[in-house]
Amino acid sequence: MEPNWNDTQPIYRQLRDRIVTMILEGVVNDGDALPSVRQVAGEYQLNPLTVLKGYQALVDEELVEKKRGLGMYVKAGARKALLADERRRFLEEQWPGIAATIRRLGFDPKELMDQVNGQEARS
Amino acid sequence: MSPVIQAEGLSKSYAGVRALDNVSFTVEPGRIVGLIGPNGAGKTTALKAILGLTPYSGTLSVLGHDPYRERGRLMQDVSFIADVATLPRWLRVRDALEFVARIHPRFQADRARAFLSRTEVRQDARVRELSKGMIVQLHLALVMAIDARLLVLDEPTLGLDILYRKAFYEALLNDYFDGERTILVTTHQVEEIEYILTDLMFIQHGRLVLNSSMDAVQDSFVEVLIAPERVAEAEQLRPLYRREMFGKKLFLFEGVARDRLAGLGELHRPSVADLFVAKMKGAPA
Repeated sequence: MEPNWNDTQPIYRQLRDRIVTMILEGVVNDGDALPSVRQVAGEYQLNPLTVLKGYQALVDEELVEKKRGLGMYVKAGARKALLADERRRFLEEQWPGIAATIRRLGFDPKELMDQVNGQEARS
Repeated sequence: MSPVIQAEGLSKSYAGVRALDNVSFTVEPGRIVGLIGPNGAGKTTALKAILGLTPYSGTLSVLGHDPYRERGRLMQDVSFIADVATLPRWLRVRDALEFVARIHPRFQADRARAFLSRTEVRQDARVRELSKGMIVQLHLALVMAIDARLLVLDEPTLGLDILYRKAFYEALLNDYFDGERTILVTTHQVEEIEYILTDLMFIQHGRLVLNSSMDAVQDSFVEVLIAPERVAEAEQLRPLYRREMFGKKLFLFEGVARDRLAGLGELHRPSVADLFVAKMKGAPA
């Protein structure tokens, strides 16, 4: 797998974001080992310092911990912390706009939920 | 830690032409350094000097040795893949391993065998029966099994297809590089190594026109997709290089602060290939 890096953000940052997405989506779970720096470097064709920097960013955010001699592990509660962060961001950044649209179009929240539940039941 | 390579005022002329012109640089351990330059810029001459294959003027120290005078000693800690494959065509793979095991004190044949077992290179095959990609794999198996501190690669993936090229660097990063060893690589395929490198050197007409860590490169070079109404303002900041894409102007700046550029348009990280073109055309001949 050769990821397409964008040219607006540093690579280590993009690597960090990629791992965060994997934690959020449950591809890697709390307590799981992350692949070794060498493995990631080889797979993604990155220099090991970049990989290390990406991992370090996750350590600094307390999402990942280094176990001496064993490697990097997703910390217990990492997914929950990320999810809380995402929820907060949704409420702050996206929800006000969505709520305003709902109000403008005159929807009743219950009606909207019924609509969504109905769609889910059918699919 | 002392540097792996230290060059001071390195020069070399062939028939009056300066192949290396007063070049100075330092390579620290644990780095992956790309030496990039057009044909005839002096890349191979620099590598030859480092490997002790050619005399030079100036001072050069590789792992604390004078490469030309102490070549035998140096070769215990340095391995090398040339762009010209030189294995005899009648040689069998098995015999190649045995041969290197006899002449090199730091060669671990098991490592080479383990590496080859993951490829299609068979132990009883002769070199002439191998494809070009397989010959490079054999070379790689031989040098990776040498416990060397410096690995020099001269156009290692020239003529290989994309699968072999990717596998080559993957093996290098996975099985060989350990953060203490140092790799010096020249290539024309800049885009395939740009994220692997920790340091970048551009050489032109025997002189270094860039010598910097990748981190520093990313700090000092910024490409800006200039907003049409900001072109005149951008020109005032003296871009190193200008190009157009889909009618839009892309300016490359060196050493201009990002916050000064942010108002001019969209900021991008230039690729090493773009940087190379800009530096080669921007620098006076």
